[in-house]
Amino acid sequence: MSAINNQTRVLVVDDSTVLRKVIIGILKDLNVIADNITEAGDGVEGVKMALSQPFNIILMDWNMPNMLGIDAVKAIRQAGVKTPILMVTTEGERQNVITAIQAGANSYLVKPFTGDDLRERIEQILAQFSAG
Amino acid sequence: MKPRLDSTALDALLVNAYVSATTEVLKTMVGLDVGMKGISASPKYTPVGDISAIIGVTGESGEGMLGISFPMSLATLVVSRLLSLPPQKINSDDRCDAIGELANMITGKAKMSLMQEGASPYKLSLPTIILGAGHGISTHPKNTPFLVMTFEMEGEEFNLQVCFKMNG
Repeated sequence: MSAINNQTRVLVVDDSTVLRKVIIGILKDLNVIADNITEAGDGVEGVKMALSQPFNIILMDWNMPNMLGIDAVKAIRQAGVKTPILMVTTEGERQNVITAIQAGANSYLVKPFTGDDLRERIEQILAQFSAG
Repeated sequence: MKPRLDSTALDALLVNAYVSATTEVLKTMVGLDVGMKGISASPKYTPVGDISAIIGVTGESGEGMLGISFPMSLATLVVSRLLSLPPQKINSDDRCDAIGELANMITGKAKMSLMQEGASPYKLSLPTIILGAGHGISTHPKNTPFLVMTFEMEGEEFNLQVCFKMNG
């Protein structure tokens, strides 16, 4: 059984409205319902959303105006929120992956990605967290 | 210490990295095959289309920029495939946003390849979008020609232009 279902609550943080639409389209194909998907267009808004309501997973871009995704991850962790975070970014160098994991991200997906790439990564994270 | 690259070696590295990145990003994100039409040098930015995404590059070894330019019809097709919507439902905001994001992905992918080849770390700016037939840009590193890579996709041409000036 898939770890993603109609109860899964997802926060999508990306400054590209088109990329958010692409990701949301993939999530809907995976049976995540629209009411359970929240969008944020930059790191500041992402932190605000992450601290104000519960999510099963946060998808976080890196390069965004106002606050970088990496700084948003740090702020979310400093606030004590333990929701798993998947970085979805063009920043694919090894040092950036290490920096993100050290900051508190749980996994990393480099753009470009397919729907299958995103599904596999989300399922992997949700399975890890549901297993405790 | 790595030997310093001459301009020919740098050009070859840039072309390989950007051709591979462009092909992979468009195939992965919109499922379209991209063909290479040719490579040339130009003293100034020469878009083939009505919409360009420009990204600045800065690093310890030098500075430069990249531009990717699409005719409006091809940009609309790309975005309609990206969003799985008919072309008539694509608006200007989505078109600009998507072309900027694709440029981001291409530069990010090429950056990974270049760093694997020993390039020094460098930073990329957020994309700037320029619209209009015959548009141009007024600032780029002086005396540094653009490498112009022309591609074909779905019977239309688009191009990607890179210039990079090494320090010293």
